Amino acid sequence: MRIYAPDGPTTATIAAGAHAAGDLKGLTIGILDNTKPNAGLLLNRMAERLAERTGAIVGPVETKNAALAAPDQVMGRLTRQVQLVLTGSAD
Amino acid sequence: MSAVDQPKMLDLATEDPIAVMELFAEHGWGDGLPLVPPTIERVEAMLAGTPDTDPDEVIATLEPRGGLATRRMIAVNAVLAGCAPEHLPVLVAAVRALAAPELNLRGVNATTHPVAPLLIVHGEAVSAGGYNAGLGSFGPGNRANASTGRAVRLILLHIAGATPGPGDASTQGGPAKYTYCVAENEAASPWGAYPASVGVDAAGAVTLHCGEGPHNVHDMESADAGAILDKVASAMTSLGQNNAPISQGEYFVALCPEHAAAMAKMGLDRADVAQWLFEKAQMRVGDLRRAFALRAWAPWQEELDDDALMAMTEVPDNIKVFVTGGAGKHSCVIPSWGMTKSVTVPV
Repeated sequence: MRIYAPDGPTTATIAAGAHAAGDLKGLTIGILDNTKPNAGLLLNRMAERLAERTGAIVGPVETKNAALAAPDQVMGRLTRQVQLVLTGSAD
Repeated sequence: MSAVDQPKMLDLATEDPIAVMELFAEHGWGDGLPLVPPTIERVEAMLAGTPDTDPDEVIATLEPRGGLATRRMIAVNAVLAGCAPEHLPVLVAAVRALAAPELNLRGVNATTHPVAPLLIVHGEAVSAGGYNAGLGSFGPGNRANASTGRAVRLILLHIAGATPGPGDASTQGGPAKYTYCVAENEAASPWGAYPASVGVDAAGAVTLHCGEGPHNVHDMESADAGAILDKVASAMTSLGQNNAPISQGEYFVALCPEHAAAMAKMGLDRADVAQWLFEKAQMRVGDLRRAFALRAWAPWQEELDDDALMAMTEVPDNIKVFVTGGAGKHSCVIPSWGMTKSVTVPV
């Protein structure tokens, strides 16, 4: 018996991962805070610890609505100003 | 349009329902319940529910997976759920509504909240598909309601990629995520069909509202509709709902025919009911502020004093009223996930 797979085609493309930076010294860490409770606290502390250990610089903090994708302007600013971004905290 | 890649096919040695479940489980598909195998013949028969249409037309792209919901893929999931061909037009319309930007399907699917899209079937689509708008309309016991609601969930799981974990972060999930479909009881509504109240003038229509499961409102004794409405307002007034910190959130109020008749007898129309609830479903601003540091309120609401009372939603129009069910005096309230708006489209 032949049956259909239930998921079908997708428009999604798998983006290539960025090359890992061998050394974070001198690079700028950005934070994309989704404004969930404690997200900012957690991400800022992570950025500080990472900077202490590697010589990176803690850079700008951007915020977004937790329920919506980050606006293009926010992504544009991060792209221009930082070399890595910490994000992705839930409740 | 037929430029879309054709869906993959799978080979099964047997039509044993357990074998189908196991095959799907291996791929991370299915909702955990038995499935009807979507053979080519069954899918073709399902597609006859929307004759003279292109089966490979992309009805919508569903997030977060970016899945292409062609009529054929909707039919595949309709077969899996146990639908009949006459349910396919409702499902196609439901997919169009799910993809409306204001519904925010990516957020609905990805959140930790237990939100599920409630599918409300209206007008001629109710009788054409055999949907139950009367006694027990939220189920169980009716194939149309049960299987169409389930097909919506299977479409979300498979095409949209709302797989618990990678595509659906709901902390506890919820029973409404299995099947959540009801029909409007227009014949028992003192105010006509719901779609007309939101500017959709069609013989048949569907509404998608992304919210919680139903919260019961029990009133067997009040002759006064105001007392019934006060109980509805009480069910809307809770710190546990997303409507408390998110002022744009809607409420759907599903009135049973007897409660609706009592309100009409008092001279209230649909807008009056919404206005009443807007004025009665209120909480003290200070209590709301203390409960939620993270709020999505309108700027004017943030200016209110702690001792002021604030409605649970920003405007009366966010309170949507329709009639469903049969004899008895139980209605229900369906609070919103919050960052979403309901969508009504013709079938």
